[in-house]
Amino acid sequence: MSALLQLTDVRRHFGGVHAVDGVSLEIEEGTIFGLIGPNGAGKTTLVNVVTGYIRSQGGSILLTPPPRAGEGRVGAVELARRPPHAIAGLGIGRTFQTLRLYRNLTAIENVLIGMHTRRRDDTLRQMLPLRPLMRLDDRRLTEARELLQSVGLNPDRHGDRPAATLSYGDQRRVEVARALALKPKLLILDEPAAGMNPAEKDRVRDLIQQLNEGGLTVLLIDHDMRLVMGVCKRIAVLNFGRKIADGSPASVSDDPAVVTAYLGSDASKTSSHVPGSEEMDLAATSKPAVSAEPASALLDVRDLEVAYGAIKAVRGVSFGVGKGEIVALIGANGAGKSTILNTLSGVLRPHAGSARFGDLDLATAAPDQIVRAGLAQVPEGREILARLTVRENMELGAWARRDRGAAHREIDDLMKQFPILGQRHNLPAGQLSGGEQQILAIARGLLAHPRLLLLDEPSLGLAPQMVDTVFDVIQRIHNEGVTILLVEQNALRALEIADRAYVVETGRILLSGTGAALRRNPEVQKAYLGG
Amino acid sequence: MDFFIQLLTNPVGFYNQHELLIAQIGINAILAIAIFVTFYSGQLTLANAGFMAIGAYTTVIMSLYLPTPLPLNMLVGALLAGLVSVLVGLPVLRLRGVFLAIATIGFVEALRLGVILNVPITGEGQGLHNPMADPLGGIVPILISLPILAYLVWRLTKSRLGQAWSAIREDELAASSNGINVPLYKMIAFIISAVLAGYAGALETHINFFVDPTEYGIGRTIQILTFAVVGGTTNVFGPIVGAVFLTALPEIVRQFAAYRDVVNGVILILVIIFRPQGIVGRGGLAIIRPRWWTRWRARERPAAAH
Repeated sequence: MSALLQLTDVRRHFGGVHAVDGVSLEIEEGTIFGLIGPNGAGKTTLVNVVTGYIRSQGGSILLTPPPRAGEGRVGAVELARRPPHAIAGLGIGRTFQTLRLYRNLTAIENVLIGMHTRRRDDTLRQMLPLRPLMRLDDRRLTEARELLQSVGLNPDRHGDRPAATLSYGDQRRVEVARALALKPKLLILDEPAAGMNPAEKDRVRDLIQQLNEGGLTVLLIDHDMRLVMGVCKRIAVLNFGRKIADGSPASVSDDPAVVTAYLGSDASKTSSHVPGSEEMDLAATSKPAVSAEPASALLDVRDLEVAYGAIKAVRGVSFGVGKGEIVALIGANGAGKSTILNTLSGVLRPHAGSARFGDLDLATAAPDQIVRAGLAQVPEGREILARLTVRENMELGAWARRDRGAAHREIDDLMKQFPILGQRHNLPAGQLSGGEQQILAIARGLLAHPRLLLLDEPSLGLAPQMVDTVFDVIQRIHNEGVTILLVEQNALRALEIADRAYVVETGRILLSGTGAALRRNPEVQKAYLGG
Repeated sequence: MDFFIQLLTNPVGFYNQHELLIAQIGINAILAIAIFVTFYSGQLTLANAGFMAIGAYTTVIMSLYLPTPLPLNMLVGALLAGLVSVLVGLPVLRLRGVFLAIATIGFVEALRLGVILNVPITGEGQGLHNPMADPLGGIVPILISLPILAYLVWRLTKSRLGQAWSAIREDELAASSNGINVPLYKMIAFIISAVLAGYAGALETHINFFVDPTEYGIGRTIQILTFAVVGGTTNVFGPIVGAVFLTALPEIVRQFAAYRDVVNGVILILVIIFRPQGIVGRGGLAIIRPRWWTRWRARERPAAAH
């Protein structure tokens, strides 16, 4: 066995963000190699660098094609700086994280186009469509149908339908078949099981195993640990653009660095430099024991189901938030957490179930009605207007309010309350760091006078010190009487400040309990790392 | 109505009476094929009026100054348009969508205002008198060329090249993951389109006594675009149907001749609203059925069952 693909010190940064920061990997021929890491770790960037969609800014990517019968061993080929189509021509097939089928073409046409690099130009032959000359076309058509069959699609039933009309899972299969049509030496699957239910995920696992048994080398990127751990022979873990572990599934899932990357680290380890944080910890531990369900529910969600077209993202979730609580929804990427929040704020509509906020039915109320009733959301990714100044961003937050004078006074108060913003009030918001932008987004949310504030991934993409500052702000707002529903990937930090928490997995609530109890619960780690 | 009655009862008389119209339909249909090629590869280029001008002027200038036969002059005109398209395409084809459209319109206007109106050999603003004009003889090559070109382009869309164009039109990123050299195939489409437009321009000089620079401006560009929009671009016959329909329309509704542009505009709007895929859809010629019609039918059917 030798390395089919060898990455040495590959680098790529965007502005100041090191998306891929010196990654070295070796993918052996005939293996299934897993690439995992928390959201924003640089996995997709790395794949895009390997496949030529993003230029590498250093390091080398060597592809050593396996010798074919009758040929001597071909030398290694450097992939860096080649255009994507040339890399595909060298035998690297890929699928995309978000489906990229030729939507208006049929499944068979999609696969036929995948054969592009193997097909001689037939422009002149096509000009004389005589039966004997068309035999090649027939052969290709048969092969396309076989490829569809090999990924588990029925070519008679699905082959002639426009790709966009197929079910989500079937579209994923067509994409794999299209990549296979290249006869790739290496197949890169970027989150092939994203948005699938457990049964569909099992079928994806079977498919990957079956392809691998046919001799195909596979590079698999996925968030579903059960899938990755179950199918991969070797796994590399990325975090902040660096490789933090590399080895067998068992050794990787026990690696303390991996556990920290996924679950976040305890504040006691990282926050010692934040003034006042010890005080906060004391306050957290001296909290009275809270019961598992709130006495008077401010928010009451029952059997909520939400779907994006054919994909069910939330499958029957029930929970409540009591007045004055901090409740956290935690779980791995793609579990459905943000979908729940977006449904509560009226951006999405539930498929079934109910959600009540006081007397307001969130399933039918208009988003502006919901905000006026006192439920404000700070969205994931913060949605700061980068070219406007900090103050202008705040003023936009008060746009809908009639009492302009009072709103301006409140903005001034908030500026004082959050000196990070006050000192930068005339700066374009785009120049703030990620954490500062997050605080701006939270402050903007407060202008709506929320009784319940929904925070979606406030620590996403932030450096550890900044995470502490943001959580400090959340705690302070809470102390002032705002009820908070928090969605977080950084589970340990979220559990630290939360009164109660729910662990969400593939659209369902897996566990619930007080923050302190869940922190000690080994099942939480399992939900993230697949145990 | 007379128009159709004559077409059905007395086709020979119809042909004799409407020869110039038929020739114009043929030229517009070739132009429609030209814009179809770029549409099929997912590019909104509006440079065809410019390539037409190159084909037309080259043909007439060669006829004026060289003893070469007319077919050769036309061929050179078409090929020169293709050559220029490479130079234009290199910088411009990096753009997409509406930006590409604006850049190509820029090319058309720069060619007309910057080159044609300022170079003495083109007759500047005066235009050129065409010594080889032969309105009645000119119709023959047009009517022979049209079916041949339509057939060739139709087969082209079925070839490896055509499938690569489909892929690029649907999703450029995915196309390159399938090993398709996106810039190269876009360029090929652009060149083929330019050669076809140049050829149409050359053919047109054959039936006109005069080459007039005002013919090759934005108005022409938009006219060619409407052929594609009204006819549809899922296959090569769509734009041809669009060209035939829109060119013949002023003759059909003679009584509205004064409101020709209004009628064109209304038809364009109706097509965009009720049949955005054009008159010819994926499944061939289609009857235009607005959405409320199918809904209304669906409601009627269960009622009728009782």
